[in-house]
Formats: sequence, structure tokens, C-alpha cells
Amino acid sequence: MTALRRTVLPFAGFAVVIAAWWLTATTGITGKEVPTPGEVFAAAWEGLREPEGLLVDIRLSVLRVLIGVAVGCALSLPVGFALAWFPTLRAMFDPIINFCRALPPIALSPLVIIYVGIGEEARLLVLVWAAFFASVVVLYEGIAAVEDIYVRAGRALGASDLELFRRVIVPATVPQMFVAVRVALGVSWATLVAAELIAAQRGLGWTIQRSASFFRTEEVYAGILLIGFCALLMDMGVRLVQARAVSWQERVVR
Amino acid sequence: MTGDSSARIAFDDVHVGFGRGGKRVEVIDGVSFDVRPGEFVSVLGPSGCGKSTLLNVAAGFLAPDAGEVRFDGERVTRPDSRRGVVFQQYAIFPWLTVEKNIAFGLTLKRNRRSRAETQESVRRYIELMGLEGFEKSPPKQLSGGMRQRVALARAYATDPDVLLLDEPFAALDAQTREFMQELLHEASQAERRAAMLITHSVEEAIYLSHRIVVLGNRPTRVHEVVDVDVPWPRSPESRLQPEFLELRGHLEGVMRSLSGSAFRKAHP
Ligand SMILES: Nc1ncnc2c1ncn2[C@@H]1O[C@H](COP(=O)(O)OP(=O)(O)OP(=O)(O)O)[C@@H](O)[C@H]1O
Ligand SMILES: [Mg+2]
Repeated sequence: MTALRRTVLPFAGFAVVIAAWWLTATTGITGKEVPTPGEVFAAAWEGLREPEGLLVDIRLSVLRVLIGVAVGCALSLPVGFALAWFPTLRAMFDPIINFCRALPPIALSPLVIIYVGIGEEARLLVLVWAAFFASVVVLYEGIAAVEDIYVRAGRALGASDLELFRRVIVPATVPQMFVAVRVALGVSWATLVAAELIAAQRGLGWTIQRSASFFRTEEVYAGILLIGFCALLMDMGVRLVQARAVSWQERVVR
Repeated sequence: MTGDSSARIAFDDVHVGFGRGGKRVEVIDGVSFDVRPGEFVSVLGPSGCGKSTLLNVAAGFLAPDAGEVRFDGERVTRPDSRRGVVFQQYAIFPWLTVEKNIAFGLTLKRNRRSRAETQESVRRYIELMGLEGFEKSPPKQLSGGMRQRVALARAYATDPDVLLLDEPFAALDAQTREFMQELLHEASQAERRAAMLITHSVEEAIYLSHRIVVLGNRPTRVHEVVDVDVPWPRSPESRLQPEFLELRGHLEGVMRSLSGSAFRKAHP
């Protein structure tokens, strides 16, 4: 049953939604123009086969997200540990971090353009910003929540501060690091369109905007689907690594 | 004042309270008793009276508001691997295998051993705790009783002078519990280390101890100290000996009246 649940049901979920979509499109009950799944898949296929087509956009967008997440998480890791370790720092910076996290990245793009210009750095900056603030909160809350009992056990066995950090706090936090990366990935994909609003040369977000301005609805849909698909694949990749790296974690089976 | 300078652990008029101002609650109100070298002492007390708090002070996790705990004559101010601790909630590290958990203390700078010595120690305690065959297992594959055996082995491995045990078997089922009591008794026979065991169970306290300290209701003081005259070493038959049964009857009466008076105080 659990094997079936894991392999078949996710596809069944997609099938249900696509069927509903198809019904909506063919019956026209919304009274609006909705392309059918077939038309959208055809548009996507067309775009993917075209030389210099959607594949270029996918590659660029994936690369941007990867760089954004990598840099964002590389920054949030030390900051997260510092905030978790020093309560004073946390008390001081927690509000401002939550403030920055709540700002929609799209609102920042005009400022980014003014100060950084419209080059690739500008787009990456928006993504790094989003990835950093999303992951740093997950990280320091996770680190601060490392069970006191492990810290006490480590101390009672004779661990120094440094040993406690390296051999108890860090390993105990690894699961949370994966959560942080997944959150950062999700937020970065969500921010991609905003980032590519900044005078982008290509990219999935860029395709969506361009197709929209030419009223090519099925291409808009195709772009959206591809973003979702890439995000899903990346998340699955991280989860695969996570399952191996933290196989020690006890999961509550429901 | 406890004047015995030969004590391994000496509680000397320890006071602990939590909170401040109007919300302040006194928990420990002047507790004094000793644990001598090689002696196994159990601390019995009604629930919530401050037993864990007392152990946390002895371990060095918590500073008392007044009085002090001395370990080999020195004031306890921080945790130290000469005082091994076993917690109720299997505090073994889930990311390490059984043998790495047991070796953990020996790989720290504080009590680093040579590889051979570490291996020897790990092997010895794996055997003493009956964990053969599970050396490479991750804790998530172990039952509660086995996890607690890993925790005991890990505490023993750093060669502490005293073991502090906070209701280590409380979360186990009755049968596993009895088995663990016998295992711990055999281990303390073989090891002859001083131990302070916090427990709710009169039976457990008698089975394992030389002496039992009964704590009163919060704010707690020592209510009574009894020597356990059941012949040593203990075996499952000890539980049926007249001395055992008589002491059990007495202590159960004391515990009943303590929790009864706490109940009446809470529900007048
Ligand atoms: N950090 C803390 N802050 C405030 N109150 C605390 C704290 N730790 C313990 N207490 C209170 O002190 C009292 C004694 O707690 P403690 O855990 O030592 O009792 P215990 O005898 O071990 O209880 P149990 O039998 O349930 O294990 C309790 O009323 C508890 O609420
Ligand atoms: Mg307790």
C-alpha cells in the first residue's frame, strides 16, 4: 500500500487536475479563452525543439536559481549559526530579518536597477536576497531548537564549546539545513519572474512576460508549467540527497 | 552541614527556586545528603518535588541559589565527565551508530584515549550492556531498553567516578524495566562506581541501592533516609525477601502519605 501510495498516487493527482483543466477548457464554462492541455503541451514541445528556444531559457533560469540559492545559503549558514548561538544578536536582528523577508522582491527591483544596473548581477542579487532571507530564519530557528538534552549529554561527556558545536550542534542541525535549502529553492523560483523583469535576456520568467505581451496564452501556460516542473525536479533532487544524508532521522509514519 | 569529607557527592544545604518576583517558586529548600565512593543511593520523591532539579545541580547544569554541591570536596560549577549522566529521554545521538555513541566521550580532548584503548573500552561496555551485534546500528533501529543501555554504556565509557541517573527506566514497560534494573545492578557490581538514581519506583530504589533518600513535597527537603538491609548482591529472589518486603511496605506508605498530602493541599 505504501509503495503504491508513493509511486502511483502523485501521478493520479496530476491526472485529476489535468482532466479538470481539459474539461474547463473544452466546455468553456469560464467564458474566457483557456487553452487545452494539448495546446499547451504542443506549444511547450514546439518551444523546446526550436534551436535557441525554450531550452536556452530553462538553462539560464535554472542557473540563476542555482547561483541564487548557493550564494544565499552560503551566507545564511554562518549568519544562522551566529544568531542561534548568541541570543543578544538574535534579539537585535530577528525583527529586521523578518522585515526584509516580508518585502516582496518585485518591490525591490527598481532600487536594484538604480544601484546595480540591469546586468546579470542585478537579477542574481534579487534571487540571493530572496534565498538568504528565506533560509536564514529556517536555519537559526532550527539550530536554536536543537534539543537541550543533546547539548547537556555532550557537556556531561566532557565536550568543550568547540567540540559541542562541531560534534553535536552541527550534526543535529543537518536536517534543518536541508529544509532551509528547499525553502530557498522554492522562494527563488517564486522570485524568478520578478528577477527576470529586470531587462532580462532570456529565461523562463522572461518568456512568460514576452508571450503575454503578444497574447500567446498557450506559451504563457507552457512557461508556467516549465517553471513548476523545474522547481519540482530540483526539490526532488534535494530530497533524494536528504534521504541519504540524514537517514538516521526518525520519521513519524502516519 | 554534611561533614563527611570522604563523600564523593555532597549536597550541602542546597536551595533552588525558579522565576522571580511574585511568580517565584521555591523548589528545593535546603537539601543535604552524601553519596559515598562506591555507594548506590536512590532518591525517591513525589512527582514534581524537584528530583530532576537536584540532579541537574549535581551534574553542573544548574547553579543552586544557595548552598552547594561538592564533588570530591570541590564545588560543582559546571558539567564534568567525571560525573556521568543518563537521562530519562534516551539522549543518545541519533546521527551516530551505537559504537560511535559509546566512544563519543573518549574521542573528546578532555578524555582522549588511544585508538586501541577506545576500542577496548567500547567493546567492554557493549558486552557489559549486552549490545553485541548492534555495534553499527543507528539508534532509530533500537528499542527503548536498548537505547538506554547505549546511554549507560556511553556514560560508563568515560570512566566517571559517579553516575547520575534521572529516572532512566521510567519510559520502559514493566518487563524491560525489571530486566534493566538487573542489568544495572550487575554493572554496578562489576564497576563499583558511586551512583545517584532518581526514581519514582520504590521497588527499583530498594533493588538497586545501599541507601535511599526520600524527599518531601515541594519546596522539598529530605524527609527520611533509610539504609537498605537487603543482602548484597541482589538477585530477582531478593524481591521476595522479608527485609525487602518490609521496607517496600514502609516506603510505599511514606510515598502514599506524601502524595496524599500534596493532593489534599492542591484540592482542599
Ligand atoms: N527551568 C524551570 N523553570 C521553572 N520551573 C521549573 C524549571 N524546572 C523545573 N521547574 C519546576 O520545578 C518543579 C520541580 O521540577 P523537577 O523536574 O525537578 O521535578 P521532578 O521531581 O523531577 O518531577 P518528575 O517526578 O515529574 O520528574 C516543578 O514544579 C517544575 O515545574
Ligand atoms: Mg524529573
